[in-house]
Amino acid sequence: MISLVRNEMLKIVRKKRILIVAGIIAVLVALFTYSQYRDLERRLERFGDVDWRTTVQQQIIDMQNRLTSSGISDEWKSELQLTIQQQQYYLDNNVNPMEPGAPSFARMFAEHSINLLLPLMIMVVAADIVSAERTAGTVKLLLTRPVKRWKILMSKYLALILSVSIIVILFGVLSYLISGFVFGYLGWSAPVITGFSVAGNELNTNAVQMIPQWQYLLMEFSLVWFVALIVGTITFMLSVLIRNTPAGMGVMLAALISGAILSSMVASWESAKYLFMINLNLTGYLSGQAPPIEGMTLGFSLIVLAVWGLAALVVSFAVFIRQDIY
Amino acid sequence: MKKYSVGFTLFLSILSLGLMLVGFGWTIQNQFLNNGTPSAMEQAKPVEDKTTNDQGSKVIVALGDSLTRGMGDDTGKGYIGYLVDELGDKSKEKITIHNYGVNGYRSIQLLEQLRQVEIQRKIQSADYILITIGGNDLFQSGETMDLDEKKIAQAKAGYLKNLDSILKEVRTLNESAIIFHIGLYNPFIDLNDSELTTKIVRDWNYDTNALLDQKEKAVYVPTFDLFQLSVKDYLYTDNFHPNAEGYKLIAERVSSLITW
Amino acid sequence: MSEITLSVKGLRKSIGKKEIIRGIDFDLKKGEVFGFLGPNGAGKTTTIRMLVGLIKPSAGSIEIGGYNLRNNFTKAMAQMGCIVENPELYSYLTGWENLEHFARMLPEVDRSHMNYVVKLVRLEERIQDPVKTYSLGMRQRLGIAQALLGKPKVLILDEPTNGLDPMGIREMRNFIRYLAEEDGLTVLVSSHLLSEIQLMCDRVAIISKGSVIKVDYVENLLAMQEKVIWQVEPREAAKEILSSVTDVIDGPDGTIITPYLEIQSANWNQMLVEKGIHVNEMNRKSPALEDLFLELTGGESID
Repeated sequence: MISLVRNEMLKIVRKKRILIVAGIIAVLVALFTYSQYRDLERRLERFGDVDWRTTVQQQIIDMQNRLTSSGISDEWKSELQLTIQQQQYYLDNNVNPMEPGAPSFARMFAEHSINLLLPLMIMVVAADIVSAERTAGTVKLLLTRPVKRWKILMSKYLALILSVSIIVILFGVLSYLISGFVFGYLGWSAPVITGFSVAGNELNTNAVQMIPQWQYLLMEFSLVWFVALIVGTITFMLSVLIRNTPAGMGVMLAALISGAILSSMVASWESAKYLFMINLNLTGYLSGQAPPIEGMTLGFSLIVLAVWGLAALVVSFAVFIRQDIY
Repeated sequence: MKKYSVGFTLFLSILSLGLMLVGFGWTIQNQFLNNGTPSAMEQAKPVEDKTTNDQGSKVIVALGDSLTRGMGDDTGKGYIGYLVDELGDKSKEKITIHNYGVNGYRSIQLLEQLRQVEIQRKIQSADYILITIGGNDLFQSGETMDLDEKKIAQAKAGYLKNLDSILKEVRTLNESAIIFHIGLYNPFIDLNDSELTTKIVRDWNYDTNALLDQKEKAVYVPTFDLFQLSVKDYLYTDNFHPNAEGYKLIAERVSSLITW
Repeated sequence: MSEITLSVKGLRKSIGKKEIIRGIDFDLKKGEVFGFLGPNGAGKTTTIRMLVGLIKPSAGSIEIGGYNLRNNFTKAMAQMGCIVENPELYSYLTGWENLEHFARMLPEVDRSHMNYVVKLVRLEERIQDPVKTYSLGMRQRLGIAQALLGKPKVLILDEPTNGLDPMGIREMRNFIRYLAEEDGLTVLVSSHLLSEIQLMCDRVAIISKGSVIKVDYVENLLAMQEKVIWQVEPREAAKEILSSVTDVIDGPDGTIITPYLEIQSANWNQMLVEKGIHVNEMNRKSPALEDLFLELTGGESID
């Protein structure tokens, strides 16, 4: 089995998939770092002093003012209220939510990429892991070895898990290294508040705890990893089902993008919460963002994703083992 | 390099997988099995801080309602914005403005806002404190006015009590800052019952003025006269908030009172 | 020549309600080259893919080296090497990496055997180059190297000369003969080219519309078809004499046709002459497999 996984890794590495993904991530990180840097610069200009408390207070006031305007929807309103409460909490406890530094950048970047960017990167690796063998015809050589089919697919899946892991870590390391160039590499132990939960319109702070940033990062990246794994598994299934790699990618892309769009507008479509793409924003639960549909929790999302992942895996294996290769 | 890249990647990815599995297990444990112990919280209460980040410049804190926010001014400046312009022309002193106005605020809400740490910090460092409050208490935060005498009396009593508390609160936070309270104008002066509405606003302003007179370094800034004659020219299309010109008038008046 | 290395019994395959393979039986022996001949669409490829485990048969059994493919997949497959259609290798890997890749999927292959295989297909010089730089013939050879990695008893080659130039075809043919004669491999070769089968194979199975019409040695098949055409005088008397010793058919233009049997045919001639019959002409006709094929399949087209 180990040598089979080694084979699959060989193919992924030789196809330069991981390198391509790392390249894309590096470019994007550089881009975001720059925009973040410009943002910081502009804030410096505008306020004269960089005291984050002033900024946060001003944000609160701005949001309060937005609340009073009549044109905004109820969902938006309650979300604003939650954010206000949370910001107020940061102020009251003297915790800077935007502590500058590379770890904070990595945290912010991961938060923003969990539901679209990172899944896309995973897709680059996962989409052709099976279908490429079919289009190139190498599957015929692969399946005429004295190795059972499930083992071959399993080796591919394990290779995928490994690639997903290294991509997530690369993602973290690259965003840390590159942004640190501008923001400095400190801030690992800055306190971060987590454990907000949203019950109705109230921000529940019962379970709130303050943890050092490195712990928060570990939690956040493990959730990012989980999402990446599930997205990878579903893409993997599509790769088994659909011979044509671009078609499989298209299906997955449509699902992910519709998920990103739906998340912001499905509040009233209750059963959408069972769709995997609505549940991708796991880090939002850590930072206390309001979920796209009321009543969704971290546990709920984890279970929904796990069920989708398992189902995809079962389908992949069932199909792959029985499939006739013409 | 090429020869070992696979082994190397394999090794790194296994490490990564291990790390992620540990992290994930820990996250599950932390998020689901460890609830209800906000232990670390208490220790992290505010460590008192350096208050004076606004050193070397004059600090103005603006509190209050939509007038402070600048509602009705198309340029979004409001009287605070024009005031900064005016003061900038007048002196070379660096001015820092903190505008905490919130549309629709009544006196009771302002009193609540004063409990916020950050607001308190800013008030502590202020040289001048500008307040517009009361309009929403009197006009029911809307474009109408209930002419029932009893209700007005009730509203006024509550307002005066809150204002008193506000002024006291501000004073305990900052002994030296000068407080300006911007009085009300009568937006309904061109409408029916103008006599009655004018009387009500005048009384309101009078009582406000009387309260401020009891406080040290507190100045009542009248605006009634500014809008008295050609109220239409100075009001926004909602016939309630001032427009840019109206705000400029208020700003001019306030700026003439500020000296350093 | 007695050990049976590949045995196929009652093999059937249906897709939906349509039965595309309708019962195929044959046994292959050690050291023989077996031809699998049929027009495109006859079911050659489907049958071969069932033999190598890519398609699950609907019924029937396949035994490779004594192991049943269905029940004992890994052991059965370990006895076999194959190329199905073109050898599609990983073009972004080098030849050697491809071999390593497939070697890892086999129970145990040592380096010296890999080197031996590379030498066998004469790729020593290019083996470290990426496969995408290889010519088709080189890929084909690498494909064979890959198939030989596991020291198989049975080698299955689907259209091995497809796309090769005449030179390459001859090389391939010699190589296949070499493997069968020197290494004692059983080689199953499919083709739609009669000439190729005729030159390369010991035995041949003719397949048409999903079933095997005939399995026999190539020379038998050809011999069976060899005929003697007699031009004799007087015709009726000669016919009487010949029909007493062999099958007689009326040929065109007043000729008589009998099968060709080496010594007997000469004797028959003598017999006729002794009886005073004038033999004007005695023609031996040995047609190619083509005619046989047309006869057997009822005129189905073939290249």
